[in-house]
Amino acid sequence: MKRLIANSETKDKLGARTKVAVAGAAALSVALLSGMGSAGAADIKIGVLYPISGGGAIYGGPAMRGHDLAVEEINATGGVLGSKFVTVARDSKINPAAAAAAAKELITKEGVNVILGGLASSVGLAISEVARREEVIYIATIPKTIKLTTSKLHPYVFRTASNTDFEGDAMAQIVKKVNGKKLCDIQLDYAYGHDLGDGIAKALPKHAPGANIVMKLRPKLGATDFNAYITQIMGAGCETVVSGLWGNHFVNFAKQAAPFGFFKDHVYITGGEIASHEVASKLAGDYPDNVWSNTYELWYHSPTGAHKKFQARLAKKAGTNATAMWPVLAYNGVMLYKAAVEKAGSTDAAKVIKAMEGLTIDTPMGSLTVDAKSHQTNTGQFWGPMKKQSGEAYRRMEPVTFVPPPSK
Amino acid sequence: MLAIGVEAMSMLSNPTFLFYQFMNSISLGMNLFIIATGLTLILGVLRVINFAHGAFFMFGAYVCWSTVTFLGGAVGSFWLGVVAAAVVLGAMAFVIERGLLRYLYGREHLTQLLFTFAIVLIVGDVAKMIWGTDQYNVPYPHGLGGAVDFGFAKYPSYPLLLCVIGLVVAVGMWLALSKTRWGRIIRAATQDREMLAALGMNVPLVYTGVFVIGSALAGIGGALAAPRVAVSPGMDATIIIECFIIVIIGGLGSLWGSFLGALALGFVTMFGTVIFPDWELVLAYILMLGLLLWRPWGLFGHEEEEPH
Repeated sequence: MKRLIANSETKDKLGARTKVAVAGAAALSVALLSGMGSAGAADIKIGVLYPISGGGAIYGGPAMRGHDLAVEEINATGGVLGSKFVTVARDSKINPAAAAAAAKELITKEGVNVILGGLASSVGLAISEVARREEVIYIATIPKTIKLTTSKLHPYVFRTASNTDFEGDAMAQIVKKVNGKKLCDIQLDYAYGHDLGDGIAKALPKHAPGANIVMKLRPKLGATDFNAYITQIMGAGCETVVSGLWGNHFVNFAKQAAPFGFFKDHVYITGGEIASHEVASKLAGDYPDNVWSNTYELWYHSPTGAHKKFQARLAKKAGTNATAMWPVLAYNGVMLYKAAVEKAGSTDAAKVIKAMEGLTIDTPMGSLTVDAKSHQTNTGQFWGPMKKQSGEAYRRMEPVTFVPPPSK
Repeated sequence: MLAIGVEAMSMLSNPTFLFYQFMNSISLGMNLFIIATGLTLILGVLRVINFAHGAFFMFGAYVCWSTVTFLGGAVGSFWLGVVAAAVVLGAMAFVIERGLLRYLYGREHLTQLLFTFAIVLIVGDVAKMIWGTDQYNVPYPHGLGGAVDFGFAKYPSYPLLLCVIGLVVAVGMWLALSKTRWGRIIRAATQDREMLAALGMNVPLVYTGVFVIGSALAGIGGALAAPRVAVSPGMDATIIIECFIIVIIGGLGSLWGSFLGALALGFVTMFGTVIFPDWELVLAYILMLGLLLWRPWGLFGHEEEEPH
């Protein structure tokens, strides 16, 4: 309803003085574009890749907001080494081939100094491969597949997101906490799902040696009908489900499973940031019971003063106090690159890589350190059960527990 | 990986599980049928492969969400949303057919294909302009969020209702097509439109009517799917392929063909994912290929005669 009203207002505004406005906007955008094109040698060009069309736009949109916020803040305080950050954004979709082509174009045609972003793990691996070949730094802000910083690691890739091993370890700790014995494991059939499944299986003997995975299910990425999987889990007789169905996959799964009484009979432990505002606000009263999940950030929980300030700026930009989780990931990626360039005193890739290895920066979520060997930051997440609140349909994590990465 | 399949095989001897899967197959099939029947109707009469059918499906889901939200989720608002989806999609189809599509009937198939593909992109972008890239949740209609107890097992009420609605649509369409004057005219149009025109029938009106009804069915299908899936951009990604598979299996333009095709796809999808989890993606295509080899014109289709 809000959206409808907002749109009719926009339409009214458009109705008046349309011609003048359109002409003005066209002239302005031409000016802006030409300004960007000739982007003086002094500017630092940031190539950024998030899905901004199709199904992934739900996450790419908020991520871009965080990215823009970071760039605005940096430029408002004089930029880096006297240069301004200029964003060149492309659509990564949820499609590795499209993302790789876009990354290549950003590097060869636009001549960007760095590439940030990615969302799906498969997309992250594809961008990373381009970065390796073209010898340009890529900071993965959202993709979590462990392979990015292990078997597919190369000097040019860094990650500010968490990873599937961290996530699997935290989930195994929760299995222990809820005393899970017979587990069903349901993951999406692509890089992220497979690697999270492995991450959980690796961590279970350490944290919950009494727990056994009795069934593994792998629905495809983008699946909308989960009924065949729901009934299989019900037939397998497990009392605990571990999962990494993210975003709409979880929404669809939950909506289809709830009428069976599924969430009364199962404890559902899931990665994929199902505790984020994005999912909690969309499901609202339909959010199921007995769900334990994770999130990078919560608008209603400030662990640091820096987060309080960041969240206030974000709320202003988004026009609502209840802000999304994805912006902080994109924001931290930009800030890491900025700090590395400042430390290196140059945008030369080799020098920035050297500066980034072992670098520690302050973020709204606390301090972040890049491991010099694995190029992985020590990014932790909030984990906890999602509790019904009195007087509102919106579920909140309660209690909120910060789970740092497992010690080696 | 093979072990998963074997494990699932042992499950197939569990009667409750079989019952669930049986019901899942039928409810998926019926939801698909409602959408595919519109596509097959348009294909049969207009001879246009309407790629935009999936986009219409998505648009219908959005219209349903807006209606439910506008009415504050009041009792009955969901059903009004279904009606609204049919009306809005019908109106859109009227404008598209009268304003654009009708100028392309004489052209080659490729032009029509490109045209309907352009409509996919336009409808997708219009949806994005109106509803943004957010995902929306349509709650189950009042009283249908629970399950029906069959004594030996419970099955969710809403998908059960979908089975009934699918059957009602099938029988209703069949009655309309076989027992009414307009139904006879539509069937005649699938056989020989020149003769129909020569007999003094207003063929363009028949075309408009069929395109409107077919598209309204896509909208209804989208609205009916809305409570079970997140309403969001990209929700139309796979539906058009599934509909084409159904139409090809059933035979172009055949109502009962698409009914059986939809059920077949429902069963293959549901049992295939359990028995051959690694083959999930290709099973539907194997079904289609096998049928094409056996009967290239589909279950209920007719061998194309050379145009005279």
